Amino acid sequence: MTASEQIGLNKTWELSLYELHRTPQDTITDNTEIAVSPRSLHSELMCPICLDMLKKTMTTKECLHRFCSDCIVTALRSGNKECPTCRKKLVSKRSLRADPNFDLLISKIHPSRDEYEAHQERVLAKLNKSHSREALVQSITVGMKAQSQNRPNRSRKANEAAGVENHDENLSNVANNNAPAAETVPQNPPTVQNAAPTAPAANSTVPGSPAPSGRSTPSQPPSPVSSSVSSASKSFGKRPKSTLTSERSEAEESESSERTEQTDTEGEPEPMTINEIELVFKPHPTEMLGDNSLVKALKENSIRYIKTTANATVDHLHKYLAMRLTLDLDSQLSTTHSLLNFCIYVQPGSGQQYVQLNGNQTLGQVNDKYWKVNRPLEMYYSWKKT
Amino acid sequence: MAQNVNPFLEQQSSSNKQSDDSRKLQNDNHAVTKRLHKELMNLMMSQDKSISAFPEGENLFKWIGTISGPKDTVYEALKFKLSFLFPHSYPYTAPTVKFITPCFHPNVDTNGNICLDILKDKWSALYDVRTILLSIQGLLAEPNNDSPLNSLAAEKWTDQDAFKKLVLEIYKE
Repeated sequence: MTASEQIGLNKTWELSLYELHRTPQDTITDNTEIAVSPRSLHSELMCPICLDMLKKTMTTKECLHRFCSDCIVTALRSGNKECPTCRKKLVSKRSLRADPNFDLLISKIHPSRDEYEAHQERVLAKLNKSHSREALVQSITVGMKAQSQNRPNRSRKANEAAGVENHDENLSNVANNNAPAAETVPQNPPTVQNAAPTAPAANSTVPGSPAPSGRSTPSQPPSPVSSSVSSASKSFGKRPKSTLTSERSEAEESESSERTEQTDTEGEPEPMTINEIELVFKPHPTEMLGDNSLVKALKENSIRYIKTTANATVDHLHKYLAMRLTLDLDSQLSTTHSLLNFCIYVQPGSGQQYVQLNGNQTLGQVNDKYWKVNRPLEMYYSWKKT
Repeated sequence: MAQNVNPFLEQQSSSNKQSDDSRKLQNDNHAVTKRLHKELMNLMMSQDKSISAFPEGENLFKWIGTISGPKDTVYEALKFKLSFLFPHSYPYTAPTVKFITPCFHPNVDTNGNICLDILKDKWSALYDVRTILLSIQGLLAEPNNDSPLNSLAAEKWTDQDAFKKLVLEIYKE
C-alpha cells in the first residue's frame, strides 16, 4: 500500500461534523407519520433545463442524469453531444432511456400535477403583471400626451363635417379604435332624447330613467334603440347591470349600439358633434388618499376612462360610481345609501380650487364652464363610507 | 371585472406594430419566458450580494447584471455592469453577454465582448444567469492569458500594480 492511499484511507475514517454531534434516536414503532413537503423534493424532481417538474423523464445511460424528454432531445439536437449536467459523451438519443418509474414516482408525490402547473402559471402571471404595471403607468401618461396633441385636429374634423355621413364615418372610426376598452356611461338618456326630439331637455327624462334597483330594462320604451340596448345588457346577464352603465368590453357590441346612434342621427336633422364627451375620472387627490377604503378596494381601477354623451348629468356619474362600487367591491351596500356619500369635483385649472358639482349639470355644461381646453375632461370623485 | 384601460393608450399600442410583433413572439416563447422568470425568482431569493441581475424594462429577453470585483484581486471594490441578450432558443444556446462598464482584462475587448468558453462552444443548457455571472467573476480573478482579446492587458498582467492602475484608469461607473 502506498503512502497516498493510506492518507486517503485515513480521511475516510475521520468522522464528519454530523457524525460527531448526532444523538441516538428512538425507533418509531407506532403509526407516526412524518410529512415531507413536496417543496423540499423539488430540486430532485426538477428538470435542470426547463427548471420545471420532470415530464416524460429520460435518463442518460452512462451517468444517470435525468431530464424531460423534450428538453434533452432539443439540447442534443442544438448543442454539444454531451450530458448537459456532467459533459459525459452522449452520442445520440440512444444514449438515453425512458424512466417511467420516475414518472410514476412523481405522479405519486404530485397526484394533482395539473393543479400544480396551474398554480405556477398564476404565480408567473402575477409576476408579469407587477413587472409591467410601472410601464403601464408610464405609457398612460405618454398616451394622454399624444391624445392632447391629436385632440384639436379631431374636433376640427368633426365640426367640419357638414354632411352627416362624413361625420358618422369619423365617429365610427373613433368608436372602432377605442371601443375595446372604452366605457360608455349613460347610454339611455340621450337616446330617449333623440327618439323624442320635442322633449324639453335631457334633465326632464332623468328622474325616471335610472331606477334605483339598477335594472330598468323592462321600463324602456319599445324603440329600436332600447331593443339594442336591452340585448346588450342581456348578454351581460350574469351581472347586475343598469341601463345607465353600459360597459363595453367587446368591440362588436359597442359597434352595434354605435350604429343605432348613427341611424338615429340620420333621422334627426340635429348634428351630434357635441354629443360625445370623454372624461378621465380620478379619485380626489386630497379627499381620497391611499387609506380610503374605496381607493383601496378599487386599486388600479380607481382611475376610470369614460366616454359618454355630453347631456349626461353629474347625477348620472353619481349613479355610475355607485354601480361601479357595488360591482367592484361585490358588497351589499344599497345603491341609494352609497349614492349620498359621493361628491364630484372639477378643477378649473391647475393649482385652482376643486369645485364641487351640482347633480343636474350636464357634462357638456361642466366642460364648457370649467374645462374649456381641448382635452378629455378630468373629474374627481370622493366617497366616504358613512 | 370589466376592462378599464385608457382608450388612447389602446389605440396607440395597436398602431404600434413593432411592439405588437414582439408581444406575439413572446407568446410563442412561453417556455423561454417561463424559464427566465424562474431564474429571476431564484436570483431574487438568493443571498449572494456579489452578483445580481434584473430584466431591463419590459423585455424579459434583455437583462442587466452586476458583479462586484472578486476580493484580493485588482478588481476588488469595483462594480461591473453587464448586458444579457437571450436568444429565443435559450437555454439551448447561450445568451450574448457583454460588459457595459469598461473593463481592462485580458479576455475582454474594448467593446466589452467577453472571451469565455462556456458562452461559446462549452455552453450547456444547465448554465443560467447566476452561473454565468459567477463564471465571469471567476474569469476576472483568473484570466486566460493564452488566448487574449486584449493583448496589452495580457502583457501587463504579470505586473499587478501597473495592471491595477490601468484598470482604474479605464473604469468608470
